[in-house]
Order: sequence, then C-alpha cells, then structure tokens
Amino acid sequence: MNFKLVVGWLYPELMSTYGDRGNIIVLTKRCEWRGIGVDIQMIDFKTVRKNIESCNVIFGGGSQDRQQGIVIDDLRTKKGPVLKELFEKGVPGLFVCGAPQLLGHYYMTGDGKVLEGLGIFDMESKHFGKSKPRCIGNTIAEIEAGFRVQGLGYRKTVVGFENHGGRTYLGAGVKPFAKVMKGCGNNGEDGTEGAVYKNCIACYSHGPFLPKNPHIADWLISKALEVKYKKKILLKQLDDALEWQAHEFML
Amino acid sequence: MFQIAIFAGKLVCLISKTLRLGAGATWPGEIALRLDPAILQKFSKQQKNIILIAGTNGKTTTVKMVETILRYKGLSVQHNASGANLNNGLVSAFLTDAGWNGRLTSDYFIFEVDEATLPNILKTLMPNIIVLTNLFRDQLDRYGEVDVIAEKWQEALLKLDTGNQSIKMHQTVVIINADDPHVVLVGEKLATTVKYFGLEDASLFLPNMQHATDTIYCPRCGSRLTFGGVYFSHLGKWACGKCRLTHPRVDVISRDFPSPIEGVYNRYNTLAAAMVAKEVEISDHDIREALKNFTPAFGRMEEIDAEGKRVKILLSKNPTGFNESLRTVLSSKQKGPILLVLNDRIPDGTDVSWIWDVDFETLKNYKEKIFVCGDRQYDLGLRLKYVGTAFNMHGNLEEALQKALKETQKDQMLWILPTYSAMLDVRKILTGKKIL
Repeated sequence: MNFKLVVGWLYPELMSTYGDRGNIIVLTKRCEWRGIGVDIQMIDFKTVRKNIESCNVIFGGGSQDRQQGIVIDDLRTKKGPVLKELFEKGVPGLFVCGAPQLLGHYYMTGDGKVLEGLGIFDMESKHFGKSKPRCIGNTIAEIEAGFRVQGLGYRKTVVGFENHGGRTYLGAGVKPFAKVMKGCGNNGEDGTEGAVYKNCIACYSHGPFLPKNPHIADWLISKALEVKYKKKILLKQLDDALEWQAHEFML
Repeated sequence: MFQIAIFAGKLVCLISKTLRLGAGATWPGEIALRLDPAILQKFSKQQKNIILIAGTNGKTTTVKMVETILRYKGLSVQHNASGANLNNGLVSAFLTDAGWNGRLTSDYFIFEVDEATLPNILKTLMPNIIVLTNLFRDQLDRYGEVDVIAEKWQEALLKLDTGNQSIKMHQTVVIINADDPHVVLVGEKLATTVKYFGLEDASLFLPNMQHATDTIYCPRCGSRLTFGGVYFSHLGKWACGKCRLTHPRVDVISRDFPSPIEGVYNRYNTLAAAMVAKEVEISDHDIREALKNFTPAFGRMEEIDAEGKRVKILLSKNPTGFNESLRTVLSSKQKGPILLVLNDRIPDGTDVSWIWDVDFETLKNYKEKIFVCGDRQYDLGLRLKYVGTAFNMHGNLEEALQKALKETQKDQMLWILPTYSAMLDVRKILTGKKIL
C-alpha cells in the first residue's frame, strides 16, 4: 500500500523565526526515505477549513512579537477551532518556541496585558518583565514514557535551544512533555518542559527541534499514519548514526 | 582626566603593538573609557568628518571601500578594526590616530557600528554621514528581534534632528538602502537630509522568494508587501498596497558604479560607499577609478594563496549572508571544492538553528567535493544530509584544510565559507597571522 501524509505548516512566512523550517524538512525526508508520500499544506490567511482538515500532522513554528500580532486573530478565530477538532481526533502536532504561550488559555505580557490564547492546552503563561531573566541556551530534557516507536532507535533525552522571556504553568488537563535536565524549561521552577495534549506536543525548544531528535520525528510520523489509516503501521528503521552523533554531542 | 586617559590608552596601544598581543583593537579604548567616560565625546568634538556605517551585513566591506576612495584622493583616513564596533573599538581607533597630546590627525574617521550599539553611540558622537545598509535576522540570542533594532534606530535618529542634549544642532546626512523596507521606514520621518541607493537592475532578480526573509510584511501597517522583484532575502522592488509605504526614488543605481568584487551584496556595498564619497564631493569618475584598486577586507571575498592553491574566504554568519555566499560560489566561473565551517562561540552566536534557513539545497548537484568542519560539524553535516548531497566531515580544522587543499586542482579555487570565529581560525592557519 502506498502511504501518503499531508503535513500542515502554520503561517510559514510569519511563524518562522530561526530555522523552524528544519522540522518540515526532517518530517518530509524521513517519510520519503521510507517511501511515504508527503504533501506540504501551507496554512495561512487564505487557507480554508477543508484544506486544514486534510492535514495528518500539524507544525507551528515561533514568531517574533510583530509577526505574532499579525497572525493571532486569524489563528485564534479561523484556524483554532479546526485545529482543536483535529487534535481531539488524535492528529499529531508539534509546536516549538513560544508555542506554550500561544496554545494555552492566555499569555500575560510584561506590562500586564492579557492576550487570549487558543485554549487548546490547559496551561497559562506569564512574562514577569525584568524581574525574571530571559531563558537562553542549549537544553537537555528527559522525555516521559510513551514516545517510543516499536522497532526504532530511541533515546530517553531530547536536546534543543531555548530563547524565551515568558514562563508557562501547566494545568491538570495536560501532561508535561519532558523533565528538564539542563536549561529553564516551562518556568524554571517545577522542572517541566513543554506539554502534551492527546498527540500534540508543545515545547519551548525553538527552531529546528526534530533534526537532532529523530525519535520524536518518527513518533509524529507513526501517529499520523496510525490515525489516518486506523491501524498500526511499522516504520522502517533508518540509518540515524549522524542524527544520534549530533544528539549525543549536546549531552 | 582626558590627558591621563589619552596617555594610558596610547601606552596600551604601544605595548600591544610592540609585544604583538593583537589586542590593540579594543583594549586601549576600554582602558581610556574607564579613566574618562566622556572621551568619545571629547574626541568627536575635535573632528567634524565622522562617517558611521551600520546594518547587519556589509559594514566591513563598505568601510574599506570608502577608505579606498578617500585615500585615492589623497585624504587621510582612520577606521576602527573590523568587528571592533562597540564604543571601546571606536575609542581605540581615535587613540591610534591621536598624538600623545590627544590631538587627532586624520582628515576622515570611518566607523562600522554594531547595530545594537548605534543608538548608544549617537548619544555621544555626532557623525556628518550615517549609512544604514540593511536589517536581517542575525544572532537572535544576542541582538534580539529585527523590529526592536529598527525602532531603536529610528528613536535615536529622530533625536539627531532636534539636536540632543549633549550635542549642538548639526546637519547629518543619512544614506539609506531603498531596497530594504524596514530601513526605509527608519528614515521615513527624519527631517535631516536622507538619500537613497538601490540596485535597479531587473537582471539580478531571483526567480523565487527565498525562505530566509525578515520584512515581507509592511513594517508600518503589517500588510503583505508586494514585490516587483527580489534581489535576495527581502531586498527588492517592494510596495505596500495598503498604507502606501513605497520604495523611494533612488539617487544612485548599480549601473552607475560597477562593483570591484563578485556577489550581489557587494553591489550594495559599492553603492553605499559611492554615495558617501559623493557627499564628500568626490567625482563619479574618481570614485570609479579608485574602486578599481579595491582589495577585499579580510575574510570578505578575500583571496589567499595557500600551498600554491588559490583560496577564497567568504565570511558567512547569518542565513541571508550564507545564501548570498552560496550564490556567489555557484555563479562564479572559478570552480572548486567548498569547505563549510560552523562554530558556536560568542562572536558567532551560540544558537546554530539558523543553518536550517539557509538554502543548502542549491548545493544538491554540486560537482566538486564539500567539506564540513567546526565546533558544530554534526549540526552542519545533518543539514547537508537532509539536502541529500555527499560531504566529508572533519573534527580538526587543520586536517580539513589540508584535505580540501589537496582536492583543489591548480586551476581551481577552494571556497571557504566560515562563521566569524571560524574565519579567524582559518586565516590563522593559512597565513600564520593573528588578527584580533
């Protein structure tokens, strides 16, 4: 059987801050190398519901303040409800960078303004102004169980780079994505990094998260296939020697 | 205090020069600034002919071009060392120029200024010409967002118009790249004289928009800009259909002043330098003649002879710069192997995420060997793996250089594309000299 996936990419022009495209490249190539066809569905202002519904995996990158200001209304009112339906059905997603701020209930800026979020994830974010320093640097975290894909290479760690001013606090409706080993993570207090709701991951790691974390890339692909074709589909093991070398170099 | 600061600063200059410490670019200034925090202002009061070059890419080459033209006309010029573009670097340049009595001797002072430092420098130093080249994403971990830099620039420049508190009213000419919408917005409200340069050459338009762009939505109203054509990144013939911010009419175009070195970005540097020279009332003819003798600044299209092989070094430190370096290599008549070197030290930025914004896909069918090296060789290797092109990875730079030189035929060019600290390392190995 010829498998095919549609990768939805949210606002590629506006939510691409620093190498976010790497995640799309990695998802695409890792499918192609296994003979799985890939279509990229760019999701921007003009994209209609039908096209978003056709997506089998969703990716959202980071955006600078001005860019976020441009997309936020469209994202919340026009795209949010469809995305929520997809995630409820188990469609996998990956959101990097400021995503925890975007996907939660609200984000309070440094000067006390409350920006409403998509409300898909049970969490809230705050910026404490100058009283709390920006979190910048390489990160290492230990992932919670459940991301292992049968028959494929696996590591308990994820590596990344964080650069954020806000702090996120998780509610009972989401699970943390990982436990911080190095870096700040969600808030620098409770040791959590990112959040998971159904099959959707939000993390503070920014930019190209998947290249050095091929196990997470494969988990997203395997979930996407499982939900689309309604059965477990075994993925072929790829030669990930270089991926793991790059991963382990950061540990 | 001025005299003591001068004395101490000059002494440090002398010591670092005699002992060849290679630290003369910033330390003399640092010490002098600690002794006399107002020293920059005191120097600038002595000298009316100060030219500042600010922007993400092209500063060092533009400074070198202006210097070449002014020297051709017999004028004496002092500039800061490349990369020494904070206050201490500027003071060091003044100290090098000044006598032991603190009196400046050169006719002109040309400084490249770090984009984040420009507002601060404008508080104390009154230039008569400021060039704003471009604004691209560069080292987010250090500089922050492009929008924030643009806002701070505008704020600082508006103060020049009204004359800021410490400096008396002064007429400054601001020279702006018309092809960059964000820089145009910075100059839009200024009452001082603003002049524009732009390429105006449709033969240089790219067939498609690149991924690495920053200002494709209007910096003033947020609508999507329309582009009649793009030279690279977001530089091109742009217009906002909504708020009517438009590409200004330009005073010089690429055809007026041919670039002495390859690369589309060097056409911009040439135009910026030519406009400065025109402000100094040098004739177009003399500008063109002077530029014929231009030799590139170190690491910027610099050609080096190594073990009888020709090597060109193209500093490549952010997505836009890297894309343009690749374009230059691929469109050059000189073929040869490529060595890519990625470091993640403080001068490079510790975050290497940006390599995924570079269109390495253009290397897919490259016929010659590609070598990968640097502190973050695995990240760069991984990027190329996902392009689907073959490459050789080396942990040791000396070894990588040796292998790459060996692969370079006599009639070929070895192209080296390094980040900043990697460029210094490469040069040190190839020439045996330390720069900074």
